[in-house]
Amino acid sequence: MSIWHLISNASVLVQLVMGLLFVASIMSWVMIVQRGIFLNAAQRGFRQFEDAFWSGVDLNKLYGELTQEAKEHGGRDGVENVFRAGFREFNRLAQVGSADSDTIMEGTDRAMRVALSREDEKLNISLPFLASVASVSPYIGLFGTVWGIMNSFRGLAMVQQATLATVAPGISEALIATAMGLFAAIPALIAYNRYAAIVETMNSSYETFAEEFSSILHRQIRAN
Amino acid sequence: MGSFLSYSVAVLVSLALHLGLLAVLFVGWEPETTRVMIQPQYIEAKLVELAPKKVVQPKAKPKKPKTDSAKQKREAKKRRDKLAAQKKAKDKKREQERLKALSEKQRLEALRLAEEQRLRDEQEAAREAERKRLETEFAEALAAEQAEINAQEDERVANSYRQLIQQRLSENWSRPPSARLGMETLIRIRLVPTGRIVGVNILTSSGDTAFDRSVEQAAQKVEQFIELQGMAPDLFERKFRQVDVAFSPEDLRL
Repeated sequence: MSIWHLISNASVLVQLVMGLLFVASIMSWVMIVQRGIFLNAAQRGFRQFEDAFWSGVDLNKLYGELTQEAKEHGGRDGVENVFRAGFREFNRLAQVGSADSDTIMEGTDRAMRVALSREDEKLNISLPFLASVASVSPYIGLFGTVWGIMNSFRGLAMVQQATLATVAPGISEALIATAMGLFAAIPALIAYNRYAAIVETMNSSYETFAEEFSSILHRQIRAN
Repeated sequence: MGSFLSYSVAVLVSLALHLGLLAVLFVGWEPETTRVMIQPQYIEAKLVELAPKKVVQPKAKPKKPKTDSAKQKREAKKRRDKLAAQKKAKDKKREQERLKALSEKQRLEALRLAEEQRLRDEQEAAREAERKRLETEFAEALAAEQAEINAQEDERVANSYRQLIQQRLSENWSRPPSARLGMETLIRIRLVPTGRIVGVNILTSSGDTAFDRSVEQAAQKVEQFIELQGMAPDLFERKFRQVDVAFSPEDLRL
């Protein structure tokens, strides 16, 4: 009475449920690993950029380097984009000359807000999928189980001598569906919670950086 | 570029993880198939027969006349033997007389005939008596057998009632947790013909007061065996005025 035996003997609907849950589990693990790699890279990139930014390097030079890099490697993600969008807008507005400092700062802030929300979107990709798997797959598994148990009890009703051995295999195979649902849901839920926390922290870090950068640019305008 | 790489890595990792899981499930994991048979819980309360002598007695009865008849037979045989001996002696005497005086033969012949007639009559009478005695004996045995059959029938009816009592008591018996295998409490239930229980007392205690109390409560909970009302009054008087029931938990493992 191996697991394989139980699965192959299950009814078609229960098998479908199991297949769905298996696919969901595979996909959620793809997301988990991919997001893990992505968020790890984003955190590392943010630290590196902050180090470079606060090292006292000339902002024009830093902007030039990043733009060069973006052209070569097809654009990097993260807080660099916020910096580049803000600095580009600031330079453009400053070169026009007619604008006063408030207009320049407003435009810069708007550009950075747009970049920020883009970055936020990038960070949040596929987290809703993980959340859905985490919350729905136990129910799907439970549905498979209920269906399987229903069938096995219906079979029991037709048997004259009802023993535990007549229902036990049916219930066992039905319970596999619940087990698979939980198997898919638990990692997805853990990953979702962890990644949501990371995304939250990253977002607030980006916002903080944007504020700081904005204040630096403000000071520069006042100095001019 | 970077995202494509991270996705392909993620897909590979995920597939490897799931294939590994499947491999573990189908190769390494087998549930132990030793079957453990667990007996269902049930309670047995068996009735203790009060007076088994009654069943034995009718069996003993037919024996007595048999021994009597054997004695009588022996006596009859003795008598017959004796008669035969007498006859032989007389014959001898007659032979001597015949040898001595042939003239007297006629008279002696008549005498002998008379004697023989008398003997034959005697034997006839004895046989008749024997036959009569056998007949009465047979009738007695028949009556005894009938009584035995009746007793068996009674016993069968009584057994069905006993089973009923037992079942009713078992249903109403809730054992305390302190019940252990091997405990036995014998109670005597006194009944009236309506089937109502008028008294319960413990004959032998199990040693555990909670257990004894549960047994007593089982009997009190039953209150009345309504089915006993349909029983023949004499059967009730003989067998169900007092019923002894032994309670013992036979399904427990400790």
